[in-house]
Amino acid sequence: MKPDKTLRIARWEVSKNAGQLDRRTLAAIGVVLVLVAVLTPMVASKGIALDDGIYRVGVAEDSPYHDPVVEDPTFVAVEPDARAFQSGEIDVLVLPDRPPIPARSQKGQAALSELRGSVEAYNDRTMADESDFEAAFPVNVSVRYVEQNASLAASGGDSDDADSTPDDGEVGLGGGESGDGNGGDSGDGDGGSDAGESGDGSESSPSDGAVEAPSVGSGSSLFGGDTAGGTPSDITPPFPFESLVLAFAFVLPMNFVIQAYASSVLNERINDRGELLLVSPVSRGDIVAGKTLPYFLGMVAIATVTAVGIAGLTPAGGDAPLEIARTAAASVAAVVPIALLFLASSFVGAMFARSFKELTFVTVTLSVFLTSYAFIPAIFTDVHPVAAISPLTLVVRVLGGGGLALSDYAFSTLPLYLTAGVLFALGVGVYREEDMFTQRSIPLKFLDALDSQLSRPRSVAKLSALSIPFVFVAELLAVALLFALPVSVSMPVLLVVIAFIEEVAKSVGIYAGFAHARFDRSLGSVGLLGFLSGLGFFLGEKATAVAQLVGLPNLELGRAAFGTVTGLGIETSPLLLAGLLFAPLALHAVTATMTALGASRGRNRYFVALALATVVHAAYNLTVVSYVG
Amino acid sequence: MIEVENLRKEYGGFTAVEGSTFSVADGEVFGVIGPNGAGKTTTLKMLAGLVEPTSGSARVAGYDAQDSEMRQYLGFLPEESPLYEDMTPISYLEFFADLYDVPSKVATDRIHDTLDRLDLDHRDRRLGDVSKGMARKVAIARSLVNDPEVLVYDEPASGLDPLTTNYIIEFTRDLAESGKTVVFSAHNLFHVESICDRVVVMNDGRIVAGGSVEEIREEHGRTEYRVYTTVDVEGAIAENGAYCRVVESMDGVEETRDLAAAAGGEVEDIQTRTPSLEDIFLELAAESPDVEGRP
Repeated sequence: MKPDKTLRIARWEVSKNAGQLDRRTLAAIGVVLVLVAVLTPMVASKGIALDDGIYRVGVAEDSPYHDPVVEDPTFVAVEPDARAFQSGEIDVLVLPDRPPIPARSQKGQAALSELRGSVEAYNDRTMADESDFEAAFPVNVSVRYVEQNASLAASGGDSDDADSTPDDGEVGLGGGESGDGNGGDSGDGDGGSDAGESGDGSESSPSDGAVEAPSVGSGSSLFGGDTAGGTPSDITPPFPFESLVLAFAFVLPMNFVIQAYASSVLNERINDRGELLLVSPVSRGDIVAGKTLPYFLGMVAIATVTAVGIAGLTPAGGDAPLEIARTAAASVAAVVPIALLFLASSFVGAMFARSFKELTFVTVTLSVFLTSYAFIPAIFTDVHPVAAISPLTLVVRVLGGGGLALSDYAFSTLPLYLTAGVLFALGVGVYREEDMFTQRSIPLKFLDALDSQLSRPRSVAKLSALSIPFVFVAELLAVALLFALPVSVSMPVLLVVIAFIEEVAKSVGIYAGFAHARFDRSLGSVGLLGFLSGLGFFLGEKATAVAQLVGLPNLELGRAAFGTVTGLGIETSPLLLAGLLFAPLALHAVTATMTALGASRGRNRYFVALALATVVHAAYNLTVVSYVG
Repeated sequence: MIEVENLRKEYGGFTAVEGSTFSVADGEVFGVIGPNGAGKTTTLKMLAGLVEPTSGSARVAGYDAQDSEMRQYLGFLPEESPLYEDMTPISYLEFFADLYDVPSKVATDRIHDTLDRLDLDHRDRRLGDVSKGMARKVAIARSLVNDPEVLVYDEPASGLDPLTTNYIIEFTRDLAESGKTVVFSAHNLFHVESICDRVVVMNDGRIVAGGSVEEIREEHGRTEYRVYTTVDVEGAIAENGAYCRVVESMDGVEETRDLAAAAGGEVEDIQTRTPSLEDIFLELAAESPDVEGRP
């Protein structure tokens, strides 16, 4: 790699494509970027107020209903004019000493219902402002949100992390502070010493097994608005709307950038256009890096603008310039691996696609898949540990004023960094004349890419080891998709899915080698390839021990997914533990040999062998989880 | 300047080039001819380092063809002219000159000089808007931005009108006269015959003949004698009021003369037709690919 050549190609990539955009388009893009940067934090901090002023309430200024109406932006307070009410200009009419009267329309009924809620919220706020908090709220309930798997584990009977025992501090009666709302510090709860010494909800922290409710914006309030108290019916689940908006703001632009990037890569392949770059004195790596760099920097720039905008307008971490810069930098650092994965997968997609039509299908699929991977777990930020698999979760936490632990960063981003690296390596492997300009189907191109990494039998070990990031990401995704199901259902499914993913990862490189007549089809060769693939996978698999860096294995499915690999959480004799440590090597070698044998005999027999290997692997997983884990 | 030894290229189970061996001297113009699918383009791409040989070796300007350093000394012109439509000829050529580490001032002078020689106007027009002939000239200019010692041109005049074709062939001849080594393939064998010092004929991935055009003609070509008689003789066909008998040796001519005399007539005219490279090519292409040819 020559940095100067890479930079020249990067400059050329920008200037070449800049010619495709006229000034009007550039201006439009600029306006859109500014709008995203400005509107996102506004929406995140204030929410989308589509219902502001939709109801007109006729209420006198001296009426006790006047203040609730004025304080709720849903309403517009007007003079209580009976004529206006009859003509439909007023939705609810409030007259002295009479209950509010709704207009004879559905809107009138809706307005009345909304008014009732607003009055109740107003009363709660008023009560919360009382100096004698105990008098205002004689019964005080502290609520903390706990990990969902804790309750699942409890139902399974094999966990001591039960959620309903009072001594773990989940529920404390009379504990004083109510929830984690920002208005709940007025009562000290001196009368609440009867149930649970850690029942003081205000002192809960994620480290004691519970998870804090989202703390970004007003969504952190337990009771919807900014009240600290209320009735049980007012309790809303910790749905982090703000987190979603923030996460969306980071991921959305990436989907547009990869379209341009993938088009540019495919453009090199149309009419052999990229041939002249290949014959110039630059390496394939220089070309790919140079073409990728502008898009990567563009993504980072957009993320930076977004992060600075959000950090500046909703300074949860502090409004000092240094704090804003620190928050924005941490956010961007978390977004970088997502950007790289978007680019790497788009690059490979563009190298495999045969036409722009096919590329559209590929990029849309990638967009949906990657956005789901990054976005869905982030919804559960501070709610469920499954959120840890997405770097966007880190972004949401950082922008919400939280810190960025190195271990969390490593867990969330390392699989993405590695996956992106392997994808780029695969793509560069086929970025050559012989593969770029041929019209083969995507599966065959994929096999070509794998074959480009094979030169001798031991290459299959390298390929199997390199597949680990994909396996890890796929298994995390499987965990994310299945975690909401009951363990009795999700566990067996997950074990089979994991077995399938791993068997595919170990065998597809061997299949590619046989498909390209790279290996001898003798039984000796099959045995050697199977062992080498199993060995490579075994060694690479140990890297998943990074899962121990954070608490994902505390999740039941996390243990199922990674515990059999790492021996995590298994309490048994050292001899058995050593056996468990090396048993996977035997398993992987045996099943990889099975699939290698099938691959050497053609496609159909490969699929049969893959199914058999999956069954054997799943049986092993089930055995380990059932009898040991 | 170019040494090719036992070059072989396989794509899956298909052998595109098999056992090619030839060499090209400094300043030589070397032609590669053959029918479609003969392996010409694959051979040229292996010389340019674009395609990795399955076995054998190709050395260009003292470097292995796969060595990226070699590319500094090479100018390659593919069969198509795949340009970037949104760039102008100048920006396009400047970019490639930059990649070849040509100093900016030198690049500017060289680009304009080359475009002058190629008689290319509209240098600031989008490449997407230029004619095919202009695009070809830009592609040729691109192959010269690094002032290479070796030029590998694949069908340089493919798909162009006769005027532009002649212009480009003349330009190629000028390049050779200026001391550059040129290897090129062409479908129009007249052009090959007119400017090449030596050629190889490829068929089914193999070199089936090689040497100077005269050498090939002597080895593989057959001179035809068209003997016109006033009377019909055995093997003659009526043509323009006379009878024409085609023979391939002077013995055949004498035999025809005797036949005509026996029939009461005489030989009216004898025309000699030397086979063109195209004739030889067609004949060789029809033959078995087992014919060995070593230039």
